[in-house]
Amino acid sequence: MSGLHRFGGVVAFVLASVTPVAAQQAVPAGHIKTVSGGAFVVRENATIPARPGEAIFASDVLRTSVGGAIGITLKDDTRISLGSDSEVRIDRYVYAPGEGGLGMVLKFVRGVAVYVSGRIAKLAPDSIRLESPAAIIGVRGTTLAIRVDS
Amino acid sequence: MPGGRARLLLSLAAVIVTAACGAKRAAPPQVRPVPPRPTLVVLLPDPETGTTGRARVFNEFGSTDLNAPRAGSLATGTAAPGSVTTMSEEEVARVFGAALAALPPAPRHFTLHFKFESDALTDASTAMIPAILAAVRAMPVPEVAVVGHTDTMGEPKTNLALGLKRAMTVRNILVEAGLALSTLDVSSHGEADLLVKTRDKTPEPRNRRVEITVR
Repeated sequence: MSGLHRFGGVVAFVLASVTPVAAQQAVPAGHIKTVSGGAFVVRENATIPARPGEAIFASDVLRTSVGGAIGITLKDDTRISLGSDSEVRIDRYVYAPGEGGLGMVLKFVRGVAVYVSGRIAKLAPDSIRLESPAAIIGVRGTTLAIRVDS
Repeated sequence: MPGGRARLLLSLAAVIVTAACGAKRAAPPQVRPVPPRPTLVVLLPDPETGTTGRARVFNEFGSTDLNAPRAGSLATGTAAPGSVTTMSEEEVARVFGAALAALPPAPRHFTLHFKFESDALTDASTAMIPAILAAVRAMPVPEVAVVGHTDTMGEPKTNLALGLKRAMTVRNILVEAGLALSTLDVSSHGEADLLVKTRDKTPEPRNRRVEITVR
């Protein structure tokens, strides 16, 4: 329990600070693995149809239309999938364990999504923040399903 | 809470500004803050291992801890996240089935070991190659990361090169077995990423390895 209390304190501190906008890096954060129906990546105001095998970068937005679905795997083994008419933004993604750089911020904007934690959650769980309009979620090696109502 | 006080000050400031403007022109139409859209968070067992982790759902009003399979909390943004309710498997499938079906398979990890100061695989590791190939074939659009490691015998620079040599050995085995070169990413961490922590100049077979991630 004490771990979870400490966790609350850290989160309050993170909330107080401003989330930096992650610059798009040349190194992909991960790749698209599954696509069905209408699924898109929104990158710098361009909406690109999602295709399996294509790279995902920090600050990309994943979006599905009605009946669409998409699944991605990130470099640290984190997995994220979206169901119909959904949107998730990868606000921040840093995975450089050698240099001690770890962190992830995901914004669940609307619809349904599944999150399966990867190595960042093992190495630095406090560096992960899952945001939704009504709450923030802190994780400890976790599989979560999230629905944000329209 | 400092956040609350700051917000109060902001609202006061807004009232004063509005009042000041109101003296000059007609009051703007009333804008009611839109309550945030509700969020349902459900903790699920890990799809592969079946174990359940834990999570905390929180906002400015409070928090709810989730630590059992299919434990859920509904947050509205105008009050603390709701107390825990357990969803049935049917409900989870109904609400999240499409997203769960789109979840990529879990990445797989393999560790291959090498003979002392050599880039030849041990016999046990050679026997693992078919399992690695099977894992790659089971993945939709597979990526294979091959990272070479050494123990702390010899110089760091030499070990970086030896690690790369080991990783290339594995890469060649995988390519000969039919893997597309484009799916393979080869690198070396030399002696900088020991599996078993040792002093310098320590022979340690478990550190002489290539780690393969199939995702």
